[in-house]
Amino acid sequence: MPTLTIDGQTVEVEEGKTILEAAEQLGIEIPTLCHHPLLEAYGACRICTVEMQRGKRVRMVTACNHPAQEGIEVQTRSPRVLRHRRMIVELELGRCADLPVLRKLADDLGIDRSRFGTGEHECILCGLCVRTCWELVGARAISFANRGTDREVTTPYHEFSDACIGCGACVAICPTGVLKMEDIKGRKVIHSELTLGPQRAIRIPFMQAVPNAPFIDPDECAHFTTGECKVCAKVCPRDAVDHQMEDQFEEIEVGTILVATGHDVIDCSEMLRYGYGLYDNVITGLEFEKLSHATSPTGGKILMSNGEPPKSVAILHCIGSRDENYKEYCSRVCCMYSLKFAHLVREKTGAEVYELYIDMRSAGKGYEEFYKRNLEEDVVFIRGKGSEITTWPEAPGEEGKLVVKCEDTLLGTVRRLPVDMVILSPALQARADAAKVAQTFGLGCSRDGFFLEQHPKLGPVQTASDGIFIAGTCQGPKDIPDSVAQGAAAAANILSLVDRGSVVIEPITSVVEETTCGGCRLCISVCPYDAARFDEEKKVSVVDEAVCKGCGTCVAVCPSGAAQQRFFADTEIMAEIDGLLAEIGDRHQFPA
Amino acid sequence: MAQFEPRIVAFLCRWCSYTGADLAGTSRLKYPPNVLPIRVMCSGRVDPTFVVNAFRKGADGVLICGCHPGDCHYNEGNYNMMRRFPLVRKLLAQFGVEPERVRLEWVSASEGDRYAEVVAEFTDEIRKLGPLEWAPMMAPPPVQTAESVVTAK
Amino acid sequence: MKGIEGLKAWQAAIQEQRDPDATWIAVCAGTGCLSQGAADLAAALREALIRHSLEGKVEVKETGCRGFCEQGPLIVIHPEGIFYPQLKAADAERIVSETILRKQVIEDLLYQDPVTGRRHIHEGDIPFYQKQMRLVCRLNGVIDPTHIGDYIVHGGYQAAAKALFEMEPVQIVEEIKRSGLRGRGGGGFPAGVKWESCRNAHGEPKYVICNADAGDPGAFMDRSLLEGNPHSIIEGMIIGAYAIGSHEGYVYVRNEYPLAVRNLQTAIERAEAHNLLGDNILESGFDFHLKINRGGGAFVCGESTALMASIEGRVGEPRAKYVHTVESGLWNKPTNLNNVETWANVPLVIEHGADWFSAIGTETSKGTKVFSLVGHVNNTGLVEVPMGITLREVMFDIGGGVRGGRHFKAVQTGGPSGGTIIVDTTGAARPAEDRDEHERGPALVPESLIDLPVDFESLTEAGSMMGSGGMIVMDETTCMVDVARYFLNFLTEESCGKCTPCREGIRNMLAILERICDGRGQEGDIDLLQEMSDTVADTSLCALGGTAPNPVLSTIRYFRPEYEAHIRDRRCPAGVCTALIEYSINATKCTGCHACFKACPTDAISGEVKAAHVISTAKCVKCGSCLDVCKFDAVVKQ
Repeated sequence: MPTLTIDGQTVEVEEGKTILEAAEQLGIEIPTLCHHPLLEAYGACRICTVEMQRGKRVRMVTACNHPAQEGIEVQTRSPRVLRHRRMIVELELGRCADLPVLRKLADDLGIDRSRFGTGEHECILCGLCVRTCWELVGARAISFANRGTDREVTTPYHEFSDACIGCGACVAICPTGVLKMEDIKGRKVIHSELTLGPQRAIRIPFMQAVPNAPFIDPDECAHFTTGECKVCAKVCPRDAVDHQMEDQFEEIEVGTILVATGHDVIDCSEMLRYGYGLYDNVITGLEFEKLSHATSPTGGKILMSNGEPPKSVAILHCIGSRDENYKEYCSRVCCMYSLKFAHLVREKTGAEVYELYIDMRSAGKGYEEFYKRNLEEDVVFIRGKGSEITTWPEAPGEEGKLVVKCEDTLLGTVRRLPVDMVILSPALQARADAAKVAQTFGLGCSRDGFFLEQHPKLGPVQTASDGIFIAGTCQGPKDIPDSVAQGAAAAANILSLVDRGSVVIEPITSVVEETTCGGCRLCISVCPYDAARFDEEKKVSVVDEAVCKGCGTCVAVCPSGAAQQRFFADTEIMAEIDGLLAEIGDRHQFPA
Repeated sequence: MAQFEPRIVAFLCRWCSYTGADLAGTSRLKYPPNVLPIRVMCSGRVDPTFVVNAFRKGADGVLICGCHPGDCHYNEGNYNMMRRFPLVRKLLAQFGVEPERVRLEWVSASEGDRYAEVVAEFTDEIRKLGPLEWAPMMAPPPVQTAESVVTAK
Repeated sequence: MKGIEGLKAWQAAIQEQRDPDATWIAVCAGTGCLSQGAADLAAALREALIRHSLEGKVEVKETGCRGFCEQGPLIVIHPEGIFYPQLKAADAERIVSETILRKQVIEDLLYQDPVTGRRHIHEGDIPFYQKQMRLVCRLNGVIDPTHIGDYIVHGGYQAAAKALFEMEPVQIVEEIKRSGLRGRGGGGFPAGVKWESCRNAHGEPKYVICNADAGDPGAFMDRSLLEGNPHSIIEGMIIGAYAIGSHEGYVYVRNEYPLAVRNLQTAIERAEAHNLLGDNILESGFDFHLKINRGGGAFVCGESTALMASIEGRVGEPRAKYVHTVESGLWNKPTNLNNVETWANVPLVIEHGADWFSAIGTETSKGTKVFSLVGHVNNTGLVEVPMGITLREVMFDIGGGVRGGRHFKAVQTGGPSGGTIIVDTTGAARPAEDRDEHERGPALVPESLIDLPVDFESLTEAGSMMGSGGMIVMDETTCMVDVARYFLNFLTEESCGKCTPCREGIRNMLAILERICDGRGQEGDIDLLQEMSDTVADTSLCALGGTAPNPVLSTIRYFRPEYEAHIRDRRCPAGVCTALIEYSINATKCTGCHACFKACPTDAISGEVKAAHVISTAKCVKCGSCLDVCKFDAVVKQ
């Protein structure tokens, strides 16, 4: 623990600290430009130069990177220090005349104007951005180029660099504001930003998330892109950040499983006529939901990609739903959320809202009333599906607008609606990997790809596999109240099993008759559950009935007839056959 | 003359095909009533002797339905049936039964319509084949039995 | 090959093959001589030998630099040691037919002393070489650098073998410390102390680096050593690495020295092939690998930390050295860096012993120093002198005095960051024509700093520094403000730009100097320059910025009146700064020959033949063409 003196005050500091840190400990401020506590000391601006005396030797050193050594005496405001500091600030001003960060330093030192240069530059070459990019982010996309007075911060050959991950850390740290986000590759305009643009790598997934704790998104996190950064770990006072955590496969033994894997939304860009992905202001319901949310990049304001609020909005129902080309079924939730959007748009922007529907399906408690309220709020309801969105104007008032074409089936006419923004209500569909999940859990899928319940009325949450339940939109499109109800039902079913503590199996297991078993072991080879084993002593096969699921394959292959399945014994099935065909009499019978 | 109505015995797996058949029913789908279903736990349970016995007892066709490959509730029971099926057909051919009279189909629990289609089509085919006539060569030697004596009377 | 015995046996075997009385021609193939046609000369000599059926009997050897670059291309014919300077390819035939075949010295090809007019046959008789003490450079010009056998036959690698087999590492460090060898790169830090710190530093592996970046304008000592005798550097590095405990070394050499890179590369390959480098050197159990790292030619990469950054593949920028590189250098490992000349001195110390070495030089500066003597001096070239020799001896005895009989004004040492040392205070402020004829010439230099001994302390005290050994002599036609401007211009471009005082300070100092040279100087500029120098020197990150104000400070210190003349009188006493001079024609001297009229590129001169001509100042661009062509001294520049 070295002890040193700064401006006459003695201070004891930890080994490895710098003079600057020691001064901070004493509350003595030493001005800096190129220093940042998260970055390695650089010593480029020299503003922090102080006078240091060790023994009889007096030297000018930079406080930011000179170690706080035992017995040194430091002067931070001696005449010599101030003289140099003034000169350096004056030289910096000669380079960049109007920077607030320099102006403040100059005012503190009593410098009115610089005797040097023209001050035409904007960048003070402190290197904070470069070091952030190298040391913290690790992307190493920008660096200094050229030397001497030609020195500048740039990407290789002034080209956009693929190494840039668009994290914006350089912009955030720049003390001069010369670096702007627009300069950084991959900057997305407002709507794309909702889904694609740079997000904070550490975030709470959404406001109501449980647990309500931040997580690190490895796809966005600079550390997982470049191997560096870890700034969050450095600043976290609780040491809660752990970058070593890895995805782990854990095997958990359970008695029951609830499959609630949810749904996908149909990709609107496949339906070219709606121009999704082509026109900035054609967005999906989910994007509108994010946009109008209080935590959105716009702060909940409903804005177009140019930052202006829309004057008219069209909401198109049944995009991919109730459509023989895509999904024949009704997605059930769109009518109601479209009504909610209409209400929100009216309330927040006062814009004209058109709802283009095939049928309004507002069955549900309080739903019809909400529909009625929208009608009263002057939302325009047009019975007819939106057929195309174009920007090709055909009439005055259509220039610069999105024109929605539709057939108004009540008026019996084709209409063109010029609007500023279009919200599509895409179909809910089974998740892309539903078939794979179904196979994993032994579930079935209905024709539309959603998981099949055991029985539509008697077993709505049960499945063909014992102990495996389904709930929510993985079973079929449904809204939140229905999902909650189904989830609760599944939970109740599960709890009843858990409470019982034992499982009742069907008594349809196989048995091997010892006396007739020839010990051929064919049954063992076909058993998918390893329920059959060979008794070496008796030289016969034995079936473990607790393991046996009763498929009966072993019975079918048994050459001696020793293996039999309870309730499905050969004799029983034969009798069934006999019974079924008994009435035929001898018309076709095999000649006996 | 009244149309020939074949008798078809169907062995349906309990998980997929039987449920599929059930769905066809609850869906009010129409299909020929010629099929006489027998529920087994798995298509793998279907012993070739069941098929032979069905024909012996007067069936004109036998339909075996199981889960689609990969979907078997017991993982691989339907594969076992799949392997067994060509042998069943060969065996029947040796008995003089047209192999077309037995058929293996995959019908899942959600495929009520497919079940109806399969049944309709298969019934149609058997109808074309006509009643199963055992080849004369398969006829047993004329042995006098108590039963035959009674019949002769 | 094993041990010293193996090495000596090899040496003996080579010696046996060679006839000591055989005739051979050493053609200097240093970069200086090559640029003057040495390659053609060597080819012509070989052809001439073939014509006279002497091929295979007389060898033509292309050697490293002999130092006397002024007189290139030059050859020495052995064993007689006949020295022929300033040859042309056409001279080859005469040399072969007369000197080689008939053993006759060709009088008119011999070196003629410009002062005495005498001709000298042998190199050693020439004043340029007489006061030199060529130790480090002793084999330059004798051996073919691409043939390891040449180095071996002169006892090469025996110092390394001695170190590896007969000395303990600590003993070697002690020997170097005792010898008083100081770093030849500029700072003059005792090499032994550095080695000891590096040896004692914690961390593995340790590295040794040879700084061969030497990029000072007008300095080429290190390049010549690398070109002419690369093995001596390799040998020095083997000894150093063994003493320090390093197994890996780098030679950082700029890519602009292709010959140096090539010869060094060849030398490393040959040494490796003969088990003098690599694993288990001479079966001693010691491994040492040496790699060449080619630099991009940034001056700042001669700074040790910037050099290491460059080797690491980063931008060549210095960093703070509050933690020394011997403790945390290359890749943050203990690193010992010395320059070419220092390493080349090491085998000498080990071979002859510390006592022998420390007997040369002064109390604090031991051994010899190689200087590149350039500028307005008669004998430019590479000179090696014992420490403590006076500037006068170097410049006048060795250098042969100022060229063209002009007045001697100043000498600049230590590279661009070095200082200019006044030699004649009286000459500086006065225009040349004000001085009497007898004041001209070297003999009349007044008693001043010209007798300054050349050693680390004396030079620093005088406001300059040893630097890596550049020595630029300037005569009265040199403007000191312009000199300062020139060096600051160089430094502005070569500053890495990392720290503010160096980047902005030097740039703005240059701007002030430029305006002074342009005649727009302001009262107070000198004080401002000094004020800025103070900050730049005190607060810059590395030595480049720290010493950058030296040219300004030393010229102000010794030539302040010259600055004042520029600022107050708008006059350049040396007649260099074009904005401050004016050309006119002295009507009484002008004969109206019309020569200047024809020479003037801008038609600024008017006048009838046989009548006095006039220069129009409005049209004159001050190119000086008229002055050059006037045979009657009628054109006046002032």
